[in-house]
Amino acid sequence: MIEISNLTFDYPGQRALDNVSLTVAEGSVTALVGPNGAGKTTLMRCIAGLETPLSGSIEVAGMNVIEQPREVHRIMGYLSDFFGLYQELTVAQCLEYAAASQGLPAGRIAEAIQQTAAQLDLTGRLQQASGSLSRGLRQRVAVGQAIIHQPKVLLLDEPASGLDPEARAHLATLFRELQARGMTLLVSSHILAELDEYSTHLLALRNGRVLESRALSAPATLDGHRSLHISLAAPDARLADWLKQQAKIISKNVSADFADIDFQGDLAAQAALLSNLIKSGFAVASFAEHKENLQQSYLRSVAQHLEKTA
Amino acid sequence: MIHAAFTSNPEFKRNLWLSFSTHRLIAMPALLGLFLLAIALHNPEKTVSNLYQSAITFFIFIVWLWGARNANATIVDELRDKTWDQQRMSALGPWAMTWGKLFGATAFNWYGGVICLLVMMFSGIADEQPYWLTDLLSLTFAGILLHAALIALNLHTSQLEMRLIQRGGIGWIAIIFALIALRSVVTGLITNSDSVTWWNAEIESRQFLLGSLLLFAACAVFAAWRVMSNALQVRTLPWAWPSFALILAVYFTGLFHSDGDTPLYMLGHVGLYIALLMSYITLFTEPNTQLNWNRLRLRQQTGDWRGWLEHLPLWPTTLLLAFCFALLATLSQSFWMAHSKLPDIFSLPFSLALMLLRDAAILLFFSFSAKTRQPAALAILSLVVINLVLPLYCRIGGLDLLSYFFMPLDDKYGAVASLMVMLTHVAIALGLVAWRLGKSRQP
Repeated sequence: MIEISNLTFDYPGQRALDNVSLTVAEGSVTALVGPNGAGKTTLMRCIAGLETPLSGSIEVAGMNVIEQPREVHRIMGYLSDFFGLYQELTVAQCLEYAAASQGLPAGRIAEAIQQTAAQLDLTGRLQQASGSLSRGLRQRVAVGQAIIHQPKVLLLDEPASGLDPEARAHLATLFRELQARGMTLLVSSHILAELDEYSTHLLALRNGRVLESRALSAPATLDGHRSLHISLAAPDARLADWLKQQAKIISKNVSADFADIDFQGDLAAQAALLSNLIKSGFAVASFAEHKENLQQSYLRSVAQHLEKTA
Repeated sequence: MIHAAFTSNPEFKRNLWLSFSTHRLIAMPALLGLFLLAIALHNPEKTVSNLYQSAITFFIFIVWLWGARNANATIVDELRDKTWDQQRMSALGPWAMTWGKLFGATAFNWYGGVICLLVMMFSGIADEQPYWLTDLLSLTFAGILLHAALIALNLHTSQLEMRLIQRGGIGWIAIIFALIALRSVVTGLITNSDSVTWWNAEIESRQFLLGSLLLFAACAVFAAWRVMSNALQVRTLPWAWPSFALILAVYFTGLFHSDGDTPLYMLGHVGLYIALLMSYITLFTEPNTQLNWNRLRLRQQTGDWRGWLEHLPLWPTTLLLAFCFALLATLSQSFWMAHSKLPDIFSLPFSLALMLLRDAAILLFFSFSAKTRQPAALAILSLVVINLVLPLYCRIGGLDLLSYFFMPLDDKYGAVASLMVMLTHVAIALGLVAWRLGKSRQP
């Protein structure tokens, strides 16, 4: 859905995006993660056609963003990190303006307002001035403005900042619903646990470069790397030394009664490892693959990157 | 049909929501009616003529002043309230966005303005005012000119991160200048004379003013649309700005031209000064960072000449035009030398165009440094030192030759010497830019 090649963007004295190339799959929810200043917002603004890059190309649904920005906007929604609302307009007027200015036919606007308000739990507030709403409700109106025209691509920069846990959970459900309808979402957030709930893909940026871009369901590496958690029914001081002697194992966190390890091998090798543990007299209570969450995945990418550049 | 056209523009409709309420709809005619009635009753003998003059005064206040404030705020408020990105992300085209803002932000003012114009029309007819229609149209076009020019100005300067601009200050400065200029033009054309000579044709003053306001209102609306296109990332080729310079050159040459001059000689000189002025205005109101120029360099390297032209700042276009006018002025110089007694400075057209090139290079030298926070302010300070302070000190010290080296716009050593000195200035300034480029290339 989004194809970016060799994108470079400079700010005075600083390269914000350095030869970035990536693909965002259609129907995916891509978590855009990275530290402050990694280039997340700049990347989103370039995709949205709000900034002109120094070089490179961006295509959304086959359209060149730099050459056809207005056409791309018809199929795109964007929620900025620092969004604003027309304070004196009612929620209904804000949504009507967004729908009409995104080219929705006049006959469909009323229905779209009701539908969007229902999705965001704003039906009871349609006649309220947006300036009188709380931060969380304003955020919902802003999300509503971005999705009212049912865009194919939705870019969300820190969509959950300032929201309470309940509203965040509501938003996560909404994003899953939008994805189920075929929408492609690119979401940036500092709260990785929140992204974990609905993201299908990870895109990690650091210093304006792509650190990692992959589907979250796919294995992190091609060589059969997996994280395993072993817990013992009774403490056994031999565990750390025993694990050190095994090939294909990197111990990460080992104590007398449990171990978190990185294991490289297929399922047969994993079964053999379990068998050897039991044969060696360890009282194995559990032996399970520990699925990496987004935060762990991101931190591992950063660690690998730092190791490479060291 | 008109209703449908107006309400089909979401930007116009949004502005109507913000501007109108039942209370305001009633308040405007009620208050205007009260004021006009008081004026009519104040002097029953001159009721009709007083109403005519009062309607003009109210129109100026409601549309020119108050409307200018609203037009000035329409872009500034979007930037301040962080709603500008949403507008830029919309699918609205530049023209729909332009007229939606132009007539939407000022809709309430035009509501009051139309009431004033109706009073003007009826009292003008009743009082047998011969120029009521001309006055009415002139007031209307001046209002549109002012509003459109402010929108264009704010959009043009929106990329500069100056507090004065972000708070709409530059618009207010423009409003004050525009009102002073309008007053001077009206006084000069209508109060002091009955007719104007334009390209040797005698035109009735009020008709000339109306024509001029119509022309410049059209130019201002066109300018607002062009700048809006760029703000909405719809790139355009840079022909409009030099074309406007040409229109101004022809317009003002027509005013200054007399039977004794050749039109080309006058056009060359007037055009040169207009191109210089327009170049300096854009030079200091456009972002001139190294990033902008890197974009051009990359497009040049890839042979993307359309992209190169689309990203070219405005000032080089009028800089080029300044050299064209300088050539025209120089070629017609022989005729002028025999007839004119103008100061020496006007005999050095190429030196003036080169001075603009030198000053542009000085600004670029400061702008290309990532560490310089206020490159425009530093450039202006440098130009004041080079053009005023150093020549003054040299003259005080009796070093006339050195003074001439700093400010060679003096005919005492001849045009060739002036040209040589100015070429040296340009070479030094361009050398500094090249040095800076080499030193501070982006990573």
